[in-house]
Amino acid sequence: MEAFLRYILRWPILEQFIQAYAWVWPLAEVMHFVGLALLIGTVGLFDLRLLGMGKGLAVAPVRRLLPWGVFGFVLCVASGSLFVGGLWANIAVHPYDVLIVNRFLQTKLIFIGLAGLNLLVFNLTGVSRAVDQIGPGEDAPPMAKAIAAASLFLWFGVIYVGRLIVWGNLSI
Amino acid sequence: MDFLAAIEESGLATWVRESPSIFAYATVLAIHTFGLALIVGLSGAVGLRTLGFAPGVSLSALGRFFPLMWVGFWLNFASGLVLVAIDARVFLTMPTFYIKMLAIALALTTLRLLRKEVVGPEGTDDATATASAKGKLLAGALLLFWLTAVTSGRVTAYDAYIGRQTAGAVLVLGVLLLLGGQIGARVLRGGTGNERSTMSTIPSRR
Repeated sequence: MEAFLRYILRWPILEQFIQAYAWVWPLAEVMHFVGLALLIGTVGLFDLRLLGMGKGLAVAPVRRLLPWGVFGFVLCVASGSLFVGGLWANIAVHPYDVLIVNRFLQTKLIFIGLAGLNLLVFNLTGVSRAVDQIGPGEDAPPMAKAIAAASLFLWFGVIYVGRLIVWGNLSI
Repeated sequence: MDFLAAIEESGLATWVRESPSIFAYATVLAIHTFGLALIVGLSGAVGLRTLGFAPGVSLSALGRFFPLMWVGFWLNFASGLVLVAIDARVFLTMPTFYIKMLAIALALTTLRLLRKEVVGPEGTDDATATASAKGKLLAGALLLFWLTAVTSGRVTAYDAYIGRQTAGAVLVLGVLLLLGGQIGARVLRGGTGNERSTMSTIPSRR
């Protein structure tokens, strides 16, 4: 298992790309920040509306902003994959060693997974369809509020522990 | 320079810089990122709505999110002061830092103008209304200024030369994504190019 992970986590082609061009790493960092702003700006706005902020908004139209959140998430996953796959080019540490000891990175990945699970619950329990009926000035059901609060907590948590990764153990 | 060195040697700056605690430097950086998410993210969403995405979202109701944007701004003002203080001699003598400050000032001014232009008193607008050309121009400028601020902020950690290269790469990638998005949207919509056609019950014209 370890050998397999060590094999798939290091991407020599990415390492070469990062080593050849000094702008690759900072470009990925900019993508990561733009992506998180898009994610919080749209998904966070949707969550806040469900929690009662900006109640003048009908819920269904706000959903049309969510593809931008998905786009932001894709930017983050793409740049984040580069940070992992090309890590060796930056700090000469195997990403596997970081992954198994860095509590912050582990927490971040767990939080992202939980956010995905939260989204699954939102879509599978019918809450997603229910909130589409919420018009201007109307309150969201408690279940929707709980899901929205969880989403906000998890995404801000992702940002927090994500920022801490470089302060965690970076090798064994 | 003595003054800048004095700032760096101050108690708070020294603690934030040298404390091994994650509640020092790391948390100040995390707060700076929370603030970025709030001010750039939420105002960016207003910008996207103004540009015509998500028609049906009432612009006046979005006005309720402005106080939270300002919370984000002040979080970053405060955390930014600390971040500058711990490396005052580096930041305050770096052109990139001043580009970032200028971009933020322009973005905030644009945001105020945008609010005046498109966000009326709550409950007075038609949620599906299209923003004025001036509003769209302001929204586009807002997004561009934020991209400049985020990019220049990020590259303060690099040499000026790498910073310029990165800015170029951000520009190229941005243009490519914009073009790709335009083409993609046109293909998906079967060439009508009309965002609002999905909203109305009238079949889209060919």
